Amino acid sequence: METGHTDQCVPRFRLLTESQITRIHHNVLRILEEIGVQIHHEEAVQLLAGHGARVEKTDRVHLPAFMVEEAIASAPSNLVIYDRTGRPAMELGGRRIYFGTGTDLPKTIDLESREIRDTLAEDVIRSTLISDALPHIDFIGSYGLPRDIPRGLHYIRCFQLEVENSTKPIFFTAESEEDLQVILEMARTVAGGPENLSARPFLIHYAEPVSPLTHSQEAVSKLILCAEQSIPINYTPALLAGSTGPVTLAGALSVAVAEALSGLVIHQLAGKGAPIITGVAATTMDMLHATVSYTSPEFRLTHSAYADLFHHYGLPIWGTAGCSDTHFPDLQAGAEYAFTLLTAAQDGTNLIHDCGYMGQGYIASPEMIVFADEIIAMVKRYMKGFTIDEPHLALDAIRDVGPGGHFLGERHTLDFFMREHWRPGLLNRTNLDNWVRDGKRSLSDRLLARTQEILQTHKPAPLDEVSGKALDKIWKGISETGRK
Amino acid sequence: MNDSIETIYQAILDGKIDETADGVKAALASGLKVQDILNKGLIAAMDVVGQRFGEGEFFIPQVLWSAKAMQAGMDLLKPHFTQDEQGARGKIVIGTAPGDIHDIGKNLVAMMLEGAGFEVVDLGVDVAPERFVDTAVKAKGHIIALSALLTTTMPGMDDVVKLLRDRGLSHIKVLIGGAPVDEAFREEIGADAYGIDAMDAVRKVRELLGRAIG
Repeated sequence: METGHTDQCVPRFRLLTESQITRIHHNVLRILEEIGVQIHHEEAVQLLAGHGARVEKTDRVHLPAFMVEEAIASAPSNLVIYDRTGRPAMELGGRRIYFGTGTDLPKTIDLESREIRDTLAEDVIRSTLISDALPHIDFIGSYGLPRDIPRGLHYIRCFQLEVENSTKPIFFTAESEEDLQVILEMARTVAGGPENLSARPFLIHYAEPVSPLTHSQEAVSKLILCAEQSIPINYTPALLAGSTGPVTLAGALSVAVAEALSGLVIHQLAGKGAPIITGVAATTMDMLHATVSYTSPEFRLTHSAYADLFHHYGLPIWGTAGCSDTHFPDLQAGAEYAFTLLTAAQDGTNLIHDCGYMGQGYIASPEMIVFADEIIAMVKRYMKGFTIDEPHLALDAIRDVGPGGHFLGERHTLDFFMREHWRPGLLNRTNLDNWVRDGKRSLSDRLLARTQEILQTHKPAPLDEVSGKALDKIWKGISETGRK
Repeated sequence: MNDSIETIYQAILDGKIDETADGVKAALASGLKVQDILNKGLIAAMDVVGQRFGEGEFFIPQVLWSAKAMQAGMDLLKPHFTQDEQGARGKIVIGTAPGDIHDIGKNLVAMMLEGAGFEVVDLGVDVAPERFVDTAVKAKGHIIALSALLTTTMPGMDDVVKLLRDRGLSHIKVLIGGAPVDEAFREEIGADAYGIDAMDAVRKVRELLGRAIG
């Protein structure tokens, strides 16, 4: 019998009402139809023109509402991403949340010296190993942008290092279409052929339009390539309210969503039903320092708002959290990680990236991936809510103990404490005397120790020898000739 | 190890009361020495429980159920103790400080002590100094253990120590604990030991009595 009664209460969060969603959506449609987007890609412009878009001059494309709504309808609402071994790893859709690192941080806080220095290839291996070991990091990015790899080759090398050191799905960037071709060749090798790769993709490519309202030649090339080969792509703009977008949040959000949806239209025309993850990053530019905030409260508001919009569209959604604006792991970083991770989880965005980011997307600090993992665990427990049924309402146990007794020795306590209560791994809950006795270790001390422990003990599932050799051969060919 | 001792050991680790009791009955029936059942079964198991708790592998509810199982075993062994063994067991008179009715910490310590094989006389909450001391004398207790949560009730601890001193009963040791209590306060009032937490309280009792168990 359906009673509409549920035994589980869970935190629910929504920012926009239905009518607010409609109002913003209409604004987005007007931007796309009346103002249009600039597309520096001839083939894409022709494709759009052939399907009902109005082209002004050569590259200004006006999209009628029906094209946008058709793209939303044809894109998959749920996307299964696999791991390197072909097992399902993430089901991107609904309000399911998955967390991972990001890509391309040029600087790294050295784990030993604590100096901020250039990121090296070794750092990419380290962050991959750490991410592979952590239970709440679901997908990995290169995290670093290694300085010791020749420019133009580092995306390829990073992909190789990641696939060699982790089985988790890989979220990757590429310099150009040629770059992407090489990386996909590597991926096909590991997956055992193109059919296997598109049937069980273990990777997601990241590309982005340029705000305001511009699609570059390179980004569109990659978008089309992924659509044609059925390779999952994450195509999302990073807009700065007040500089590359309107200063007002509703305006910034509208422009960013117009950018994401116009990309979706190109993508779905190039490959109807091809896998794509969408969303936006609409944050603020700091008007005093001319910097980009990764954690501003306004960013969190636009994050919640676009989450509501894309849930309404029924599309897999990208997210951003577990990052900090400051340059060194301190109280600010802790507060920003917790704030962003909790709000992203409440927003129900599916592919939440940038965990472990420091310095406004500029600095890597590997132990912060470990910290993010701990906060994600805490947030996930919170998001699980609690059960309200007879055993959980505990009337029998309450009756047994009665006023003035205690529950420590109750069978009910023994039966439920493991499932009902979260236990921190690194956050401190000891009492003062024990903490003093154990050397007054700070969270930072514990994070660094845990990170070193992972690096010394974690052994990822090895890549099979044949694939390993094949990747080496591809890399050798490219790094020696410089030709992709 | 003997089968029934192995059964007792495992049953205590698993917090299984009936199985522990059955194991002890079987061990006694097979003619095993009471001291062996106690040391190699009950105490050995509780040592591992304490160790696992210290390492974060066991949690309080599990420790308490192991302690309950241990108690069930002890109850069956007790009638077989010699008069000397009976008299030699460590006995702790426990309660909360006068004026304090917060007893969850005290209960935890009492259960942990019982789990470690000590005899516990629990006087409950808001226990007057005279009652602590009179009971300790009458029941031949070795230690008075008292806890406070409120800073306002800490002076009551002082009174217990003073009363023991006045009556010339310094051989009865005083163990204190509770959130506002610390080592400096212990020194100030001249109590014999301060337990950081429940596990530490058991450790301190062992130190005070110079033995692992009663």
